[in-house]
Amino acid sequence: MTVQAGETVRPVPASAPARPRRGGGIGLGGAFVIAWRAIVGTPLRSILTALGVIIGVAAVVALTAIGQGSTAGITRNLESLGTNLLTVQSARGGGGGSLVRAGPRQTVTLKDAEALSTAFGARIAGVAPTAQSSVQAKAGDLNAQVTLLGTWPAYETVRNSPVASGSYFTQADVDGRKRVAVIGAQVVTDLFADTPDPVGQKVRLSGVSFTVVGVLPDKGNSGFGNANSQVIVPLSTYIQRFSRTNSASGQPTVSNVYLQATDKDDLTALVTDVTDLMSTRHEQTDPDNLDFSVQNQADSLASLNTITNTLTLLVGAIAGISLLVGGIGIMNIMLVSVTERTREIGVRKALGARPRDILTQFLVEAALLSLGGGIIGIGLGIATAYAGNSFGISPVFSATPIVVAFVFSALVGVFFGYYPAARAARLDPVESLRYE
Amino acid sequence: MTAAAAAPLAVVELQDIRKIYTQGELVFEALRGVSLTILQGEMVALMGPSGSGKTTLMQVIGLLDRPSSGSYHLAGRDVTTLGENDLARARNEDIGFVFQAFHLLPRQTLLENVEVPLVYAGVPPRERRARALDLLERVGLADKAGSRPSQISGGQKQRVAVARALAGSPRLLLADEPTGNLDTRTSEEVMALFCALHAEGTTVVIVTHEADIGAYAERVVRVRDGLIESDRQQVPRRPGVAAPLPVAQAVGEA
Ligand SMILES: Nc1ncnc2c1ncn2[C@@H]1O[C@H](COP(=O)(O)OP(=O)(O)O)[C@@H](O)[C@H]1O
Ligand SMILES: [Mg+2]
Repeated sequence: MTVQAGETVRPVPASAPARPRRGGGIGLGGAFVIAWRAIVGTPLRSILTALGVIIGVAAVVALTAIGQGSTAGITRNLESLGTNLLTVQSARGGGGGSLVRAGPRQTVTLKDAEALSTAFGARIAGVAPTAQSSVQAKAGDLNAQVTLLGTWPAYETVRNSPVASGSYFTQADVDGRKRVAVIGAQVVTDLFADTPDPVGQKVRLSGVSFTVVGVLPDKGNSGFGNANSQVIVPLSTYIQRFSRTNSASGQPTVSNVYLQATDKDDLTALVTDVTDLMSTRHEQTDPDNLDFSVQNQADSLASLNTITNTLTLLVGAIAGISLLVGGIGIMNIMLVSVTERTREIGVRKALGARPRDILTQFLVEAALLSLGGGIIGIGLGIATAYAGNSFGISPVFSATPIVVAFVFSALVGVFFGYYPAARAARLDPVESLRYE
Repeated sequence: MTAAAAAPLAVVELQDIRKIYTQGELVFEALRGVSLTILQGEMVALMGPSGSGKTTLMQVIGLLDRPSSGSYHLAGRDVTTLGENDLARARNEDIGFVFQAFHLLPRQTLLENVEVPLVYAGVPPRERRARALDLLERVGLADKAGSRPSQISGGQKQRVAVARALAGSPRLLLADEPTGNLDTRTSEEVMALFCALHAEGTTVVIVTHEADIGAYAERVVRVRDGLIESDRQQVPRRPGVAAPLPVAQAVGEA
């Protein structure tokens, strides 16, 4: 090897590293270290910078968890009210009548229920017509407002509402219009707090004395209405003693007729057949304007899902807007930061930083800020959702919104960090070194 | 390139360099045709009154600024046509800068400050750490490697800056008023360091307007109104501190 004068003589210290170097600039790792320094060097400012992203991500995580939690809760409630369920009820607004009407006019009668119970044989596991009103219940000198529900014994299985103690009334009780009652847990608390076993006790309902034959379990206070303040009595007794509603033809009416299908797959066909039968009975000619309606529980779940999807979309929009705002916040502070660190940028350039190295450094800093905000936001969102738990909604967390929020916060950082970073990269070294 | 073995290499060759600043309507020619050759191993003082164009010339030599016209060969290579990335690479590999205001990065430790040029050179962490520690040792500050710039004195800062400038083993060490912010005693310490490096063969260019500081150089180039007024050799002053070598002892804390 021939050494040419000067060419290979590197005079400054002997321990000089071998060339050529890797020449790759700082790389992501190096940029990460520098950016991390800058971020933890001013913790409060960093947090405030990322606040928009933190709040946006927290909102998304919390709202989706609470939303999914309440959807799951409602689904569970719907399913706990009986499975394979069809509901027949009077049409809203009353078929054929005036369009503007305060409430549904009762058109479904007890006779309809009886016809439905015999028409479909083994396709139907049970039929339970119901009529209900709010009455005053009394036992001794205690009283309470209760929801009085008249129905058939099949209600127990059709609506999945078994007793905790005692038993339901029987068909014989219905046939004999017996004054027997199954009472809810709240009614027990209100009227029989001091009685060890309410079964066999007397309760006066709107002044009429009934014997308690069964007690319902505590159903919790979620769900529709308050299931715990129910009092269930034979429908025949209810119609005789409490009902004031009759159809146009003078028949006693019911508010709902619940039918439980034997086979889930038969539900859709059954809806058609029930509708046909009812149309014939009610002499309905316009299928689009019936005086009754037949609802399939599966349809309710489907419409619930529609609502959920709409809510998800809404949450997505909130997320988008808040991440946008958060991103602008990051861009703003990054611009300030670039200005403040003009001298540092000048020094780095004088020491050999390429524009790309400076760009990477600031881009990584913005991404790190926004990603850190995303992570804090996820934590905060989970905490918020659990705080919502104390209001009775248990949150359901799923990976999708969390992952999406995470990825989007990183992208926001890169997107909104690009402009300030590019500005830093373009700074003239001489100008930056002169900058005070 | 085939230079004769006897002739020292010209590290810097400037031919008729002009630098024109325009600020809106105002046009100002800071360098008005400077030609200058600096040979390998020289220690040159650029002197002249304030505003004469010393810093501008230094920035051109250090590839921080492009001349408006003229040619510049750095170690034989034409650098006037280099792109942004090649300039950065040349600054990283060929030039070591020392500034009047030290310009250490405040958030970084002294060790990390010295590592910066090596980071941009892509030297692996273990290797650059070892080298940075070596350099801190040479300037007598190895025991402060983990300190922040705010925790050390001005003279110490400038020594760290020199260590940083040396990290990339540059062909050329450029110092713009390196003692401008220092008192006489620490100025002498820092100048002793430059003299020691020069004695080892490093090419050093120091900008100063102080005669005391210029006296350390063996060659003084005087600049006035953007032109070279004089360029003469002199017998350099020896650093006042006992023996200039070895460096660590010369400048280390007593
Ligand atoms: N960016 C600039 N724009 C306009 N004028 C400048 C700029 N930089 C330096 N100058 C002018 O150029 C002249 C030389 O400046 P400089 O090289 O800094 O002098 P010195 O370092 O010798 O004091 C000064 O008159 C200064 O005002
Ligand atoms: Mg100057």
